[in-house]
Amino acid sequence: MDYLDRYREIVPDYVAFQAIQCQPLYNSARINTLKITREKLLERLEEEGVLFQSFHWYPLGLKLDIESPGKLLENLLGYIHIQEELSMVPPLVLGPEPGESILDLCASPGSKTTEISQMMENRGLVIANEPSLARVAPLRSNCERLGVLNVAVTRYDGRNFPRGPFDRVLVDAPCSSEGRERRGPGVLSRCSPERSLDLQVLQIDLLKNALRLTKPGGVVVYSTCTYAPEENELVVQAALGEADEFRLEKVCIPGLLECPGITEWNGKRLSDELSCTARYYPHINDTGGFYVAKIIKN
Amino acid sequence: MSPRSSRIRNIFEPLEKSLIAKLWQDRFGIPGPAFAGCKFFRKARSIWAISDVDLPRLSYETIGMRIMSCKDRPWKPTTSALQIFGRYATKNLLHLNREEAVIFLEGGSQGIESDCEIGYVVVFYRGDVLGCGLYSHGKLVSQIPKERRMASIARSEDCPV
Repeated sequence: MDYLDRYREIVPDYVAFQAIQCQPLYNSARINTLKITREKLLERLEEEGVLFQSFHWYPLGLKLDIESPGKLLENLLGYIHIQEELSMVPPLVLGPEPGESILDLCASPGSKTTEISQMMENRGLVIANEPSLARVAPLRSNCERLGVLNVAVTRYDGRNFPRGPFDRVLVDAPCSSEGRERRGPGVLSRCSPERSLDLQVLQIDLLKNALRLTKPGGVVVYSTCTYAPEENELVVQAALGEADEFRLEKVCIPGLLECPGITEWNGKRLSDELSCTARYYPHINDTGGFYVAKIIKN
Repeated sequence: MSPRSSRIRNIFEPLEKSLIAKLWQDRFGIPGPAFAGCKFFRKARSIWAISDVDLPRLSYETIGMRIMSCKDRPWKPTTSALQIFGRYATKNLLHLNREEAVIFLEGGSQGIESDCEIGYVVVFYRGDVLGCGLYSHGKLVSQIPKERRMASIARSEDCPV
């Protein structure tokens, strides 16, 4: 846990941040409106005596007070999808519309892919890219269970995904997952600045390709579930470069408290614009940890 | 298998919507408009449905949802597809009671009296489509894929069915 000390200067109320890491995260799920309405789903859960609470910031998100929500019939039938609360944020920031063409560059296991598909009401096209064959299986299985009809799966190396352009691209990048400590204790023991710097090389290349594949006026969302600036602000700054082809738009989800992206790290000044990106800390909203940046291609 | 045949097997070939709609109409009485907004592809012995959009020229692993298998005769609908299109079925469907639904969701076989024709049927429980079953001579065999079966806890008192 001492590893987190490197964030002492950037995380507000650091003691609370450190303390909450040992508290397990509650179970949560998203209502899949491709298969059921919110009203009907809530009615069913009430009938079955399942205790739940809607997220105050997102009506389709539920905290479930049940040990194994995966075993609910509603999950088997694809009426809900077990998904971490903050994992529902990046698709909402991406803001896909029915009929658009979307690329999800790092898609498996498909929680965000299927949320995007749901926001598009199964219309238009989502390309869900996942290079690893082993990881295509859960992606496919989730899409099928949730009744998704507008997703096609590809297996390119995301750095070389060949063809666009897309209206919107999501890069939910492979990362050190520090923000998942509450879900699976021990994550932090595998983290190091060196590992973050290794991942940074891949993350910059993924984001650069995503920017290339986006239509002018289109949106790219870059997200990770880590606190490491090397994998967050530094990636966004490096991928955007000096050119004024791109600009950052403020990330703000009403009802969810974000902290602004940092503009200084290890004594080095970063672009002021990075304060438009959002850091979500576990002790502020009682969630996991996430970072989200929204980029507009001019 | 020669490299050539392997390559052919991996191509998604477009299919006429009317061809697919007729098969579902004949077996389940599902009207053609249920498939409005979809287009269809065949790859090897599976049929896939996707929203009606132009697909960019890419190498695809999957296109939309795998809706049926033509590996054997008769063709077999997937549970995923029945959960979408099966609610429009007007024939070859079965409504189960709670006890029967539990057995079905566990992947089991059971005796059920019905006037369904021999073959694949749409299985309902309390208005929900549970998935695909194989019906023959008074016996219903669950075709729910293994990863979507309800574990043995379904028999306990807190069964969520």
